[in-house]
Amino acid sequence: MIEKRGRNIAIAVFLLPGLIYYSFFVLSPVVQGLVLSMYRWVSLERRVFVGFDNYLSVFRDRIFWQSVRASLLFMIITTFFQVIFGFLFGYFLYLQPKFERTFKTIFFIPVVLNTVAVGFIWGYIYSPAFGLLKPAMEALGLGHYYVPPLAQPSTALLAVIVAHIWQAFGIQIMLFNAGFMNMPPEVIEMASIDGAAGFTMIRYMIIPLSWEISKTVIILQIIGALRAFDLVYVMTGGGPNHATELLPLNMFVYAFENFNFGNGSVVATIIFVLCMTFTLGLRRMMRREVLQY
Amino acid sequence: MGATREKKDQEWIARSQLKISSRWGRFFVYSALSFNTIMILLPLFWLLITSLKSQQDLAQNIWGLPKQVVWSNYVVAWVGGKIGIYFFNSVLATASNIFFSVIASVTIAYALSRFHFKLKRFLYYLVIAGMMIPIHAAVIPLYITAMKLKMMNNLIYLGIIYAAFRIPVSVFILESFMVTIPKELEECAIIDGASYYSIFFRIILPLSADGIITITILSALASWNELLLAMLMLSRPFIKTLPLGLMGFITEWTTEYTILCAGLLIACIPNVLFYAFMKEKIVRGMTVGAIKG
Repeated sequence: MIEKRGRNIAIAVFLLPGLIYYSFFVLSPVVQGLVLSMYRWVSLERRVFVGFDNYLSVFRDRIFWQSVRASLLFMIITTFFQVIFGFLFGYFLYLQPKFERTFKTIFFIPVVLNTVAVGFIWGYIYSPAFGLLKPAMEALGLGHYYVPPLAQPSTALLAVIVAHIWQAFGIQIMLFNAGFMNMPPEVIEMASIDGAAGFTMIRYMIIPLSWEISKTVIILQIIGALRAFDLVYVMTGGGPNHATELLPLNMFVYAFENFNFGNGSVVATIIFVLCMTFTLGLRRMMRREVLQY
Repeated sequence: MGATREKKDQEWIARSQLKISSRWGRFFVYSALSFNTIMILLPLFWLLITSLKSQQDLAQNIWGLPKQVVWSNYVVAWVGGKIGIYFFNSVLATASNIFFSVIASVTIAYALSRFHFKLKRFLYYLVIAGMMIPIHAAVIPLYITAMKLKMMNNLIYLGIIYAAFRIPVSVFILESFMVTIPKELEECAIIDGASYYSIFFRIILPLSADGIITITILSALASWNELLLAMLMLSRPFIKTLPLGLMGFITEWTTEYTILCAGLLIACIPNVLFYAFMKEKIVRGMTVGAIKG
């Protein structure tokens, strides 16, 4: 009896402080955000309950819908590119090329660099005065097509996406590569002896065997894209003309530039709901029978 | 020592059974890998040579090597950019993050991995679910709370918030380390009269050292590069963290590209050194959770 009590006390001692800490800083702010999205701030001290009015006002805002569009585009393009090429490059490295170690080391460098620095480097590459892009395009004979990418609403989002991919690509390569390394070598060897190679190998062996890791990479990538803030903020601040104002930036502008916490919380809630929906939805959609090997 | 070193090397370049068989395949793979290498290294190399040019030199030749190497850019950037102060501030916030996140995660993971009790699964998923919560969904309430608690411009408090958001992924990683520790070790210790607390300190902690190092590294990287929360919480000039300080540095020196590049390179040195020494651990840490699925 005493034994059992001691055990329960030990569990509580180890579990509770951490859980309370976690609840206070992570869970409770999310719930508070839901509550805040139903209030209008009169001043910093005084707020009034307005029900779903903030939601209606956000949904009537043209810039909000532009943000949704920009975020979805950002998500689709980065995911498409990073998943397909991350898979391929992860596979190339799995094939034991020479200098495998060097390639891996280099591919991962941008991931650990400071995002502010990366944002600046790419802003600099795109800049009309001293940038790399303009002379590069001139060298290719495309000089007269050059427009400063970050200054044009039509190209700014794409320019930011390229920078984002440059920085984050290494993660996907490594994730896929690590997933491939985890495949049972005997099975791959058997298939190889049976004559599977190249795309046949990828289609019938690698993709089915690495389905779990692919699922994880896609989900991580989508959540990452919905959260993207730092790099975009550094490069464009959401401009020009809101073209790169992804949802987190939209939230930031509402809450901390216009000091409209109510509308900001509405957007924060939407980001949260989108993250949850995509994660759980994709998990369900990509559920397959686990291959037994 | 030599043996463990070798084992780590094997993990880093674990052998697969596949080799590239056709000549065209080999050509294609090496071209793709080399192209990606150039795409990553070129901007960084360019940043380096720009940082060594004089402003006039840069205006005349954007691509070429510096006519004369100007080291003084680095001195100007270091002194004028106050990078030393920002660096110290980032170290403080990161240290606070590591301290709190490791303590909270280790205790939670211990309780969840080594005991059986009601609600265990529920609590585990409650903690893990935090991985899906983007910090943006919580940032407005966190800001209001910090204001109420008069914790603005407090680097330790900033680290405490970072730490709370590291708990989900850290518990996820640690739990997977701790469940593998053989139950017999604990049972023997209990027969010898050890308490749960001494089991925790004498057996569990030493045996999950690898996991603790992994979560420490990942936490450090995450808070070192974080911008959004730092931007909201810190407003005094001498309290800024490195990413935030860099933002100011970039706007302040906006026309002097050579000095800017020198400053950004200085700011990236800690990241690069950290990466150089911890490469295997960083990459493994970032992939270990995903593979577990």
